[in-house]
Amino acid sequence: MQLGIVVGTATATVKHRSMEGWKLLLVQLLSADGRSPDGEPVLAVDRLGAGRGETVMLSSDGKGTCELLKSETTPVRYSVMGIPDRGAPNNPTNDE
Amino acid sequence: MRIGKIIGTVTLNHSHPSLRGATYKLAVPLSLAELTATVEDSVDKVAETVVVYDELGAGQGSLIAISEGGEAAQPFLPAEKPVDAYNAAILDQIDVKPMNSIPK
Repeated sequence: MQLGIVVGTATATVKHRSMEGWKLLLVQLLSADGRSPDGEPVLAVDRLGAGRGETVMLSSDGKGTCELLKSETTPVRYSVMGIPDRGAPNNPTNDE
Repeated sequence: MRIGKIIGTVTLNHSHPSLRGATYKLAVPLSLAELTATVEDSVDKVAETVVVYDELGAGQGSLIAISEGGEAAQPFLPAEKPVDAYNAAILDQIDVKPMNSIPK
């Protein structure tokens, strides 16, 4: 699990069946300092309703995402596990 | 899944038996800076290209969701194919704002 910032949303009509009905978020994963980006942004499925600019906790467990999407054959790896509260330690959205 | 832009196709002369009949596209994974650039900007310097197994029929210039690693072979279960990049979706629209414009 890793923290990231939601930088956008994506929509797709033609996609793997397992992703139907799921919101796709574009999330920039963050390094240990809680600010600098870690790699390229990734697409994650979300049912918690996280919005752009929010910090989210992403799971990179593909098997967990299989269970979430109720599909053994999903190509999706990342899913939003939670939205940390503002003010939590090391939350990158905290004020300086 | 990373977002990638299709820049070409790949055809195989010889292949693993389980991959016969597949179509492959050549895609460039996009960074946050490239995703926030204007649509007219093309991918200038290509740092990395990925050969993607495509069964959705993505066209040249399309943005796709590239599933990588173990999950890329999962759609074929119970069949096993040596695939480590799979086109999971053709993206109609992405709405991205750079991180520094996001209010802290």
